[in-house]
Amino acid sequence: MADPSDPLSRRRSLGLLLGGGSSLLLGGCALNGWSETVGEATQPLNERIEALLQGKRRLPEFRRSQVEPAALLINSFNGTPEMAPGSYRLAVNGVVSRPLQLDLAALAALPQQECVIRHVCVEGWAAIVAWSGPRLADVLALAGPSPLGAYLAIRSADQYFETWDLASALHPQTLLATHMNGAPLPVANGAPVRLASPIKLGYKQSKWVTGLELMTSLGERLGTWEDKGYEWFAGL
Amino acid sequence: MIATTPSPARGPSPLWTRAFHGFNLLLLLLMATSGLEIYNANPVFGGREGATVPELFTLGGWLAGGRDWHFAVMGLYAANVGLWIGLLLRRRHRRLAGRGDLVTLRASVSPPRRRLASHRITYTLMLIVLAFSLITGLAMYKPAQLGWLVSLFAFAEPVGHSSWQTLRVCHLATIPAIALLLVAHVVLSWRVGGLRLLRAMFL
Repeated sequence: MADPSDPLSRRRSLGLLLGGGSSLLLGGCALNGWSETVGEATQPLNERIEALLQGKRRLPEFRRSQVEPAALLINSFNGTPEMAPGSYRLAVNGVVSRPLQLDLAALAALPQQECVIRHVCVEGWAAIVAWSGPRLADVLALAGPSPLGAYLAIRSADQYFETWDLASALHPQTLLATHMNGAPLPVANGAPVRLASPIKLGYKQSKWVTGLELMTSLGERLGTWEDKGYEWFAGL
Repeated sequence: MIATTPSPARGPSPLWTRAFHGFNLLLLLLMATSGLEIYNANPVFGGREGATVPELFTLGGWLAGGRDWHFAVMGLYAANVGLWIGLLLRRRHRRLAGRGDLVTLRASVSPPRRRLASHRITYTLMLIVLAFSLITGLAMYKPAQLGWLVSLFAFAEPVGHSSWQTLRVCHLATIPAIALLLVAHVVLSWRVGGLRLLRAMFL
C-alpha cells in the first residue's frame, strides 16, 4: 500500500531512476564528447599502476606448437612501404655516445633470441607468435646510451611514430624482430625489422623500424595513435 | 528468532546496500556500453567480418573513447562490487542464497517461500556474475602480467577455441547474464516485496 504522506517522492524517485537509466542509454552520444576528458583524468593513475605491475623479469612463454599464424591480422596506418634490404640502415641516435647506422648484417651478428608470446591488439584480437631477432636492449647498448636516457622514440619507414619508456624497451623479451614463426619476417608484418614485445599492445610494436632515438624526456608527439587518443603506456 | 530476523519484504535495506545498489547500476551501464564500443572494434563473434552492436548501445564514439570510459570506470566498479560483496559476506551473509534455498525450491509447495528462495538465488548469482566480469576483465587487461589467469580459460582448447577467445566470450557473456538476472531480480522483488521493496533497494 502506498504511504499517503509521500506519494510523489516515491513515484518521483522510481521515475528518476528509470528515466536516468534510459537517458544514459539514449544519451550515449552526448557522453561521447566527454570520453577524452574522462580518459585524461584517469589514465595517469592507470598508467602508473601498469608500470608498477610490470616487472623487469622475463614472462613465461608459449610452446612453438602453440603459434596461431591465422589469428595474426594485419594492421597498417599508411599502407606497406617499399624497402630494399640491401640499403636498409637502422639509425640509433639521441643521447648516446656513439650514434650508429646499422645494416641487417650488423643486427644478425648480435645474439639472436626467439620469444613465443601472445601478440594482443588494442582492437581485442590476439595471436600467439614466435618472434626472433636481437634484443632491443643489446642494440641500444652498442650505441653507448647516456644514463640520462629515459624514453625511446621509434621511427618507421611509413612515417609511423612511437615513444616507449626505457624500462619497457630494455625488457629482456623486447626484440627488434627480423623473423616470425621461424621464417624471415613478411613485408606485411614489418620486414625487414619491427618491434616485438610481450608487454605492450600491438600499436606500440612499430613495423618497418628505421630509427631509434634515446631521449631524456617526451616531446610534443607521443605516437601516431597516442596523439589521436590511445593510451601511451599500453602495458599488458 | 522471528522478532530478530526481519522479513526481507519489510523495512529499508541498510544505507550502504542502497548506495551500492544505485551506484552499481550506473557503473554497470557505463561499463556495458563502453564495453560494447570496444567489442565493435573487432567483434568477438566473426572478427572483422562480424556484426557490430548498434551505436545506440555504445559509449565512447570510437575505440579509444570506449577504452577511456571502460578503464576510467573499472576501478570504481571493482571497488564498489568488492566492498559490497565483502560487507554482505560479513554483515548480511544470511541473506545470501545457500543450500537451504535449493532445498526449498525442490521441496516446498508454498509459493511465497519458493519465490523468496528464487529471489535469493537470483541476486546471489548476480553478485557472482559481477565478480566474474571483474576477473575476466582483469585477465584481458593484463594478459602478460597475469598470464596464469588467462590460462585458466584454456578449457576449450581441445575443441579448437584459444584461451583468449574463450576469455573474450566469457567477458562478453556477463552482459546478457546480468541483463537476464536483472529482469528476474526486478520481477521477483516486485512479487516478494512490491514497490516497497523495490524502493527500499535504492532510496
